[in-house]
Parts: sequence; C-alpha cells; structure tokens
Amino acid sequence: MRTERAASAQRDADPVGQFFTGLAEAGYLATFDRESATLRFDLVDGEAVERWYVAVHDGSVTVARQRRPAEAIVRIDRAHFAAIIAGRLNAQAALLRGLLTCEGSMAAVMTFQRCLPGSPNSTGRVTPICGETAAAGRRTT
Amino acid sequence: MTGQLVQILEGNTFVVSDEQGDIEASGTDPTGLFSFDTRFLSRWVLTIDGQRLSALSTDDLQYFQARFFLVPGSADVYVNATLTVIRQREVADGFHEELRVFNHSSEPADLRIRIDAASDFADLFEVKDALAKKGRYRNRVADRSLILGYERETFVRETWISASAKASVDENGLSFSVTVPAHGEWSTELDVVVSLGKLDTPAAQHADRRGQRKARRDMARGLEKWLNHAPRLECDWEPLAQIYRRCLTDLAALRFSPLTMPGHSMPAAGLPWFMTIFGRDSIFTSLQALPFTSELAATTLRALGERQGTRIDDFRDEDPGRILHEQRYGELTAFEERPHSPYYGSADATPLYLVLLDEYERWTGDAKLVRDLEHTARAALNWIDEFADLRGDGYVWYQRRNATTGLENQCWKDSWDSISYRNGDLPGFPRATCELQGYAYDAKVRAARLARGVWRDAAFADRLEKEAADLKRRFNRDFWIADGEYFAVALDCDGRPVDSLTSNIGHLLWSGIVDKSKARAIARHLTGPQLFSGWGVRTLAEGEARYNPIGYHTGTVWPFDNSFIAWGLRRYGFKAEAASVTAGILEAAEVFGGRLPEAFGGYPRHLTRYPVQYPTACSPQAWSTGAPLLLLRTALGLEPHDDHLLIDPALPKRIGHLELLEVPGRWKRMDAFGRGLIDTDRLTSR
Repeated sequence: MRTERAASAQRDADPVGQFFTGLAEAGYLATFDRESATLRFDLVDGEAVERWYVAVHDGSVTVARQRRPAEAIVRIDRAHFAAIIAGRLNAQAALLRGLLTCEGSMAAVMTFQRCLPGSPNSTGRVTPICGETAAAGRRTT
Repeated sequence: MTGQLVQILEGNTFVVSDEQGDIEASGTDPTGLFSFDTRFLSRWVLTIDGQRLSALSTDDLQYFQARFFLVPGSADVYVNATLTVIRQREVADGFHEELRVFNHSSEPADLRIRIDAASDFADLFEVKDALAKKGRYRNRVADRSLILGYERETFVRETWISASAKASVDENGLSFSVTVPAHGEWSTELDVVVSLGKLDTPAAQHADRRGQRKARRDMARGLEKWLNHAPRLECDWEPLAQIYRRCLTDLAALRFSPLTMPGHSMPAAGLPWFMTIFGRDSIFTSLQALPFTSELAATTLRALGERQGTRIDDFRDEDPGRILHEQRYGELTAFEERPHSPYYGSADATPLYLVLLDEYERWTGDAKLVRDLEHTARAALNWIDEFADLRGDGYVWYQRRNATTGLENQCWKDSWDSISYRNGDLPGFPRATCELQGYAYDAKVRAARLARGVWRDAAFADRLEKEAADLKRRFNRDFWIADGEYFAVALDCDGRPVDSLTSNIGHLLWSGIVDKSKARAIARHLTGPQLFSGWGVRTLAEGEARYNPIGYHTGTVWPFDNSFIAWGLRRYGFKAEAASVTAGILEAAEVFGGRLPEAFGGYPRHLTRYPVQYPTACSPQAWSTGAPLLLLRTALGLEPHDDHLLIDPALPKRIGHLELLEVPGRWKRMDAFGRGLIDTDRLTSR
C-alpha cells in the first residue's frame, strides 16, 4: 500500500507525465486552431522508450498511450524532453543540434512546439535607458 | 583571390567560387559551398599534373548552374595548351559537377587529375565575424567516398564527396590517373552532398528529403514557366522591359522553400547571406510582387504564421503573437549562442503581417487562407496592444531584452545610428519610430475589414476601427513638428519627438495615418531638395547633423523605401510626385543594368550623373528586386476593388506607352494600359 502511494506520488511529481496530463486536461491547443494532426513522442530513457500520442483536431486535444497512426514522430531523450517542457531548452535549437529527431510532418512539429514554455528566467520586462547619460554614451559608439 | 566571384544557388544552398570554379576560403572569405547557414566546403581545387587551371570563359547558365571553360597553366602560358577542361556545376542539396577533359593533340595524354577538398564547417555568422570552432573535425574514406565531418556533441554536419569514374580517395581529396586518347575525351561526374546529421538520418526523413529535393529541382526547372506565367510587359521605353525581366529572374532565384512547406516558395531576403526567412523582408517583397504572383505572399503568410511567437523568451525577444525577424539553422543557433531559432526582434513585422494578409485577400479573394489564419491574425493584433506598447501610451515601441546579441533598432533602418535628433544626438530606449505607428494603424483598419467580411465579427471590427481612429488622432498631434511641417522620425523614451526629417514620412502616407490637411506638406518634403536627390528620396535629409550621402541609413537612397513612398504618394493623390520618384528609381535601375542595389549614394543627381552604389555583399536583394514591380503597380494605379481591378495610370513621360497584360487576381486576368504624360524632368534633373 505504501509503495503504491509512493509510486503514485512519483507519477504526480513527474513533470513529463504532468505535461501530457495537462494537455489532456486543457483539452485545447490554440496553435492548432483549424489544423489537425497526431504526434507521437518517443521518450528514450536508456533502453526504455516511453511513448505518448497527442492527437489534435481543430484545436481539440486528446492524449493517449495506445498505438495509433501518427503524422509526426518525435524522438528525444526523456531528460532533454523534460528540459524542453521546463523551458530550459529550446525545441528548435534541440532539433538543429540533433538532440531531437523528427520524422514525418515537420509542419505538425512546428505547430506543436508553439505550446511549449519560454525560459523560466525570462521576465518580458526591460528597463528603459533614458536621458542624457544614455545619449552621451551612444555618441561615442 | 583575384577576378570575379561566381555564385549559383538553389533555395538556401549556394556555391561561391572563383572564375575557375575553385574554392579556397580562408577565415572570413565568403567563398564555399553553403547550405542551412553552414559552410560545407571551404576548399575545392582542381589540378592537372599538379598544375592549377585558368579560365577562358565562365557562364552563369541559370541561377542554379554555371559552366567553366579552363586550360591548364596560368594565363600567360595557356596559348599552347593542348588540353581543355569543361567544368559544369549545378546546385542540388550540395552540388553536382561534370568534369570533362579534352585532349586536342595527336598523342594520348597520361594525366593525374586531382580534386582537393576540405571543409571548415563554419557557421555563416562565424564567416562574417571570424569566430573559432568548438567541435572536432573527422574526415574519413568509406565506400569510395570522401566524407568530411564535423561534430560537436550531438551536432553533426557532413559533406559526402563521390565520383562516377574510378578514383583513388584520401582524406584530402580524390585523384584520377587517366589516359586521354588522342583527340579524345575523359569525363567524370562528381557529387557533393550535404548532410545535417540527425536532422536527416531516419529513413522516412530521407524519403521526405528526397521529395523536397525533387520539389526544389522542379521549382528551379520551372523558371521558364515562372517567367511565362507573369504578366507580359510591352513598353516604348526599352530599358523597362529589361528591368522587368531582370526582376522576375532575380525573384525566381530568391525563392526559398521553408522546411515545413516543401514545394512552396517564399522570398528570402537576399543573396547570398540572407537566403533564409526574414519577417520584414519576406513581407515587403511579397507585397511588392502581389500583382505579379500571389504565391509568394501565400507561403510567406503560412510560414510566418507557423512560427509566430507564443511565449515570453527574453533571449529571442519573443512575445506571444509576435512575427519573427530572422530564422537561422547553423551551429551558433543550434547551441543557443545566437538567438535565431528564430529571433523575434522586429517591431514592424507583426503589423506588416496583417497588412499583407489583407492586401493578399484583396488581390486573390482567397478567403480560406484568411479564415485559416484568423487565430494568428488575432494574436498579432493582441501583440500590438499588449506587448508592443512598452510605455503604456498606445504606441508601438521597441527595446531589446537580449542586450548582447539582440537588435537595437527593430525597424527597417536597423543600424545603430539610424534614428537621431536633428543635432545628431541619439535617443535612448525604448523608441517609437513613426512608421511603426502607421503600420499599426493600417493593420487595424485592414483587420477590421477582414473581421467584418471574413471572420464575421462586426463587434471586433468596430473596436479595431475605433482604436485606429484614435491612434490616428493622437499620432497627428504627438508626432507633428509644427515649425518644420513634417512628422518626427520617432518619440524618445520620454515621449518627446525625435525631430529629424527622414524618408519614414513616406511610409506614413502609404499607411494612411496622415491627416489629409497635413499630406501636402509631407509630399512637398518628399520631393523637396533636402530629401529628393533626383534619383530618389534619401533616408535622412540633407542638412541634418548625421546626413552622409553614403551613410547606410543616414543619407543613401533605398529603392525599396522609394517604392513604398511612391505608393503612399499615390494613395493621397500626388500623381506627379509619385511619377517623379518612379522615374528617378527606374532611371537608376537602367544605369545598374536592370538590377537595383540595396542602396545607392544620396548625392545630388546633377553632381555625380551616375547613382553611386553603396558597397554591399548582398545582391540581388529581395526588396530591391521587388521595387520596380511595385513602381509599375503604382504608376499604372492598379487597385483591386471587389472583383475588379481599377486602373488609373500616372506615368512619367519618358516611359511612353505601357501595357501590362494579363494581370492575375480575383478577376482572373486583366490588361492594364497607360501612356506617359507626366513631365518629371523638373525634379529628376535636380
């Protein structure tokens, strides 16, 4: 009983599981508005491969583990995927670097990556550089 | 390296070599085989019996194909040569080269033919900035092929080199020991194929890449079809026909297929360094080309929509709804040492995206695309209100959050000193340049039309129109320099006008944000002696502290800028002024042999007689290529109106009779005629 509860707690704490559960619970991906595709994620952890399917139809999302046809297959180390969904690794950079491979529809993957978060260190804020000091500094450039 | 460089390309793959077809790049030298922003060959040198060859002639057969006629030896001894070499090269996922050696003597020739090959796998950014590599090189010989390789962690790039003839392959090249019979010939085919490592290893991906390859080939071979499909131009003024043909051919060469849309093309920004997706450049060029081909606009809208920003990312200056500035695929981007995956630091691409969407629908009637992109368009509109308004006063502002590798000026005049006060001082940040407000106004007016007509959301349309009207009212009050009677180039970070006189005011006419009562003064400035050189409108007016006739954004004349200024002048009814700008730029194009450079000197025309080209590595440039097309449109006064094409010519006298036949659009095909009646000499002889 205790082991079961621990396993369940671990599942709850697992960000990868939470990410997919979160997609299913949200039930909608705005970036797929008027688009449909099924993506398969093969998350590699040593010898093991954890497989998730995300099916989007006009924005409505369903998440599944059972085998089905997919337009795009994304294969990546589970740890790298965890970094991506935490915003610590950019998916497009990972693709260029060879950390993530993509088979099939590149367009579907491109659309999907738009639902991923930005860097946790990003604030979106910037401090204005005003006044005479800024202007004086610039003049010498 | 002496002599002229020869460049051929297809999509984002291009080869820059010397006249002999050889590549000997060192450091920042821009020669080589490039693909996906990486140099895949930095050395490719042909020798016969250890001797280099000399070029008798070099032909650019097509933009993707070149032929080199060579003889062994240096130029002063080749008169007695009994060997001729023909090297024909074609770009295709690397390149394919046919090498033919002819023996003209009556004796057989025993020859050692050698190709030296090497690659530094430099990122384009490294070529420009001379940066050092962080990974390891690994060349190997396998399967009678030479494989040049580079690895940095999981980042792998390879160049596969093979020959059809029997070769002895080593890690530095391929050698052929051959006997060419008397009056005979020997030949081989050489294939150089680029590999992006895991980006294209899975089997299915290979099939996909083969498909893309075929699509790209078909696209290239379709050049004749492309030219034949465009409207036909008949004209009394002979140079215009030449300019028109040059524009269409260059535009074909500048087409680029996004990875997500094989077989569809959009305009890249320029050759060779900017063969990639740029928000601003791709949008402006698509707008210029709309009356001639709408496919570029359709692909641009889809590709930029797919990549629209969705999150806050300071490194990439990304916000939800923002349209990208620049996408790159090289090593520095892969390792997040540069932010181009993609980089979003542009404040105009987002409103311009909406302008293009509406203009595209007006020409094509393609309501389906407008429906498909409704979510994208609404997110873009939201960006203007929520993320661009950095000071919370209802204007579009910019200031980079990536302070090391981001862009300071996020408008089209993106050099460091482009925005200045009359006395030469530079304002702080954020900045709100005037044309951004014009684009935002136009974006809202146009989006309101789409909301009403296509998205069936009248309430949203009302709101957008109300916001646009309010922006216009405030803008005409806050940016107006009363004593000079023009609009300030920007507001500074304290909300005060940056008071220099610039070409930006021409874009304001194009956007429609200018009060009718102020338009006459603006038109007078644009064709007045401070701004108008006789060839075109200067980026910064003569008399301003930073004015310099060869300053990149501080005095040169940009053909693209002028094409939108001419459109703006026509929009407010200034036919003679628009015709003068058109005449000046087209006459400059004539001097440049039909291909307009990115920019040329702002010297008064009577002083230099010839337009002085600004030195730049990038030619043709997409929006310079598009400029004559837009000038043709404005000169003929082509405006779509429901299912009709309105034609209201206002042509310079010099052009004489002009016919543009079979202009495509929602009316199927329409012919446009005009006769040059406007005397533009008074202004263009300045």
